[in-house]
Amino acid sequence: MGSRRLAALLLLLAWIPGALAEPLRVLSWGGAYERAQQEALFTPFSESNGTPVEVQRYAGGLAELRQAVEAREVPWDVIDMTRSQAMAACDEGLLQPLSPDLAAPAPDGTPAERDFMPGAIGDCALTHTLFATVVAYRSDAFPGRRPTRIADLFDQRRFPGPRALQRTPAVNLEWALLATGVPHEELYRLLSTPRGLGLALERLDALEEIHWWEDGETPVRLLTEGEVVMASGYNGRFFDAMISRGAPIEILWDGQVQEHETWVIPRHADNPDTAREFIRFATSTERLVALARRIPYGPARASAAVRVGSHPQSGVDMRLHIPTHPLNAERAITKDETWYARTLTRMDDYFAEWLSARQARTGEASAPPAAADDQPVAP
Amino acid sequence: METTTAPTGSGPLPVLRFLGLVLLGAVIGSVAALFAAGFVRGVLWLNEVLLISPRSRMMFAWPEWLALTTVAVPTLGGLIVGRLHRSLPERRPHTPADAIAAVQSRRGRLPARVGAVSALTAMISLGAGASVGQYGPLVHMGATLGSFGARLLRLGRSDDNITIACGVAAAIATAFNAPLAGIVFAHEVVLRHYALRAFAPIAAAALVGHVIATQALAQGALFHVAETAVPRAWEFALFVAIGGLGALLAGGYMHAILGVGRLARRLPLRPDLHPALAGALLGMVALWVPDILGMGQETLRFATIAGAFGSGELLLVLGLKVAATALCLGMGFSGGVFSPALVIGTLFGALCGTLVASLTGVSQESFVFYAVCGMVAVTAPVIGAPLTSLLIVFELTGNYALTTAALASVTLASPIAAQLFGRSLFDIQLRDRGLDLSSGRGQALLMDTRVIDYLTRECVTLSPDASLDEAIATLARERHAEAYLVDTQERFHGCVTLAELEAARQEAGPLRRARECIDAERPTLRSDTTLWAAMALLEEVTGEALAVVDEGIFRGVVYEVHIAHAYLHQSDALRREEHGHG
Repeated sequence: MGSRRLAALLLLLAWIPGALAEPLRVLSWGGAYERAQQEALFTPFSESNGTPVEVQRYAGGLAELRQAVEAREVPWDVIDMTRSQAMAACDEGLLQPLSPDLAAPAPDGTPAERDFMPGAIGDCALTHTLFATVVAYRSDAFPGRRPTRIADLFDQRRFPGPRALQRTPAVNLEWALLATGVPHEELYRLLSTPRGLGLALERLDALEEIHWWEDGETPVRLLTEGEVVMASGYNGRFFDAMISRGAPIEILWDGQVQEHETWVIPRHADNPDTAREFIRFATSTERLVALARRIPYGPARASAAVRVGSHPQSGVDMRLHIPTHPLNAERAITKDETWYARTLTRMDDYFAEWLSARQARTGEASAPPAAADDQPVAP
Repeated sequence: METTTAPTGSGPLPVLRFLGLVLLGAVIGSVAALFAAGFVRGVLWLNEVLLISPRSRMMFAWPEWLALTTVAVPTLGGLIVGRLHRSLPERRPHTPADAIAAVQSRRGRLPARVGAVSALTAMISLGAGASVGQYGPLVHMGATLGSFGARLLRLGRSDDNITIACGVAAAIATAFNAPLAGIVFAHEVVLRHYALRAFAPIAAAALVGHVIATQALAQGALFHVAETAVPRAWEFALFVAIGGLGALLAGGYMHAILGVGRLARRLPLRPDLHPALAGALLGMVALWVPDILGMGQETLRFATIAGAFGSGELLLVLGLKVAATALCLGMGFSGGVFSPALVIGTLFGALCGTLVASLTGVSQESFVFYAVCGMVAVTAPVIGAPLTSLLIVFELTGNYALTTAALASVTLASPIAAQLFGRSLFDIQLRDRGLDLSSGRGQALLMDTRVIDYLTRECVTLSPDASLDEAIATLARERHAEAYLVDTQERFHGCVTLAELEAARQEAGPLRRARECIDAERPTLRSDTTLWAAMALLEEVTGEALAVVDEGIFRGVVYEVHIAHAYLHQSDALRREEHGHG
């Protein structure tokens, strides 16, 4: 009798601290993205098991994490990180390895590894959503026709008017080469040849009047103000301009370049068990659906992508706005992150050289730069 | 002579046996497909590691070293390949031509060790960036695996032929992810006949290869073509013309390969160093025009895009690719002729498309049609397989308009090349080695069999100085009508018949000698005379037998009835193999 009572007491003691203290500390991107996460993930998590969630904000980058891990004082349990950074952090040993069966199966019992999109389950990172760099256009600019293919971005005969493009080789070179008719599967192989690179730059060069942007908000502004008729940019920001501000713009999904947003657990985190519990909760089909209803980032699992409903406030059908919806993702480009990791400086050099030659010839200037912000934060 | 063991007639046993053969086809198909997938992956991996693929070159951290590796890798690859080829009996790698020869001459039994070494050296050649193809080695590897399977189960020659074809079909089905092309290639190029008995196992093998390809070899198809415009009606006339010109280019390409091979034999350099020399030359030219390195899949892709090459550039890369391939294959690298032919043909088609566009000023919407027509026009004559080439286009693109354009091109390409040069490069090579397949397999088989197999000494031999009486008495005693005059040094003097001897005795009396009655019309054979040549002699000769004489020395005789029997036997075996259905 006595021993049983003692065991019950010990159990209670073991349970209380977990229930009352020790919040889960999450590092994420702030803004509308965080608001959506708060509603869809953090609050329901606290309600389900009583663990409070404490959110901190960052703008990407590994410097802080590197310092914290070195000092063995890591102030976060879970971090929301782009996959390319997560891959680098994993290589540096800054993250804890994740078990492949961390993610829950789909509601119909489909195992996670078949439900998640290929490449979503990494050694240290689990992709939860995808955001996309896309082309958007003014719906009033081309009466009687609309762009349907990425090649239309380069067709100023049928779609006349200035363009706004990001001042980087990434995405632009892919689109330019796709526009010449190469298949998606061979994109990076062909872009690796001098001939492919030359073809892509030639195609870009044929465009008249390009506004070069660096800050993610600039293309939205140029497009809504009518300074350009087509612009590249992040799908979340275009969505916001369309829905909240009623801007007359539409997204061309053909050739969208998707990037993965992942959950990771830093090395030396205080509550790795709670962190794992949270990741399993936050990547469940139900939670991913809830998140995607609030912000148009595509759930990384098929079972969630087909269940996305309408925006709770505006009633807009969110399925049409997420990058991973089968209709939108049909001709998406999967960014070759390994290729970029190794060739970025060389590509930047080629691109800068080409751009300065072009600007010397055309007198084109960059759009006024704002603070460097190439992160997928919805405004 | 080997006889077929395949049972004929109906009943449960032949059906079971046939089903077993189909099952064996599927098993061979799966093994060949796995090997093929492994081979393709191995080459891709080597190309990445050895800085041959453009992607690896672009990702390489120290670009200043690329010039060195571009020359060093093919040279060292050539050195290894040359060294390995020294261990082969004929000092050369085996190719699909050897598989064709094994099937067409019904010898079968492809040697496993030579096959393995050839596959290994082909992988090294391709991995090190030599301008050779990968499909030839895959075909030969599949054939060797098939033949090995037949030998393990102690099957007869006809079944050995079928399993060879199964391996070939599976290799093609896997490499191109095109099962129909695999089946047709095995029939069109290797078997060269169509029997239901062979079709079912081959189809099973190709199907299994296809399934494995989609599972294990997720690597994309050879080329993807998005939806295309439909060509204008008058362009089909141009496609036919491209076929005719392509046939000439194919002939030039084949003769360049053979010509460099002949030149290499006269080179004052040890044969095992030839590939290294070719590799060094290739690497140095590649510093200037990197498009000629390796299989050239990127070049192939760009050639289907209008404006990717200027016409001068097309001509330059085309010429250099022909030269590089002739150099690599002629100097002893191991590899196929198909992939380079694809690149050369596509460049040629692109050149035609560019010229047509600049002459007529029409838009280049149908550019890819020209590229594909050129591709088919060059590849079909080189491998001697018009149907396979068409099916490859169809299965890889799923585009019917493109396939009809290719059909227009191949209509003229294959017959013109066959008239001018021969059915395929393989047939030309085999003809140079003494196996002429130009008149079909029946003749080839007879030409491959020597009369020496039917030689006998059971005949009447007489001294040339024997008297007529003596000669007639001996013949009568032996119940023969002919005798052969052979002196004490075994030298042959001629043939005499009983009728002639008797006539001479009647006319001139018994004092004459046998040698005065020699039948001057009677031809003789040599021990290397083929059955085919012997059959031709029989058309003019009536008699018992023909003497076999080597440099004046009498070896024996071959009875005419044996020659006829051998002929019937060969025909019967062929008939059973080619028309059997169970």
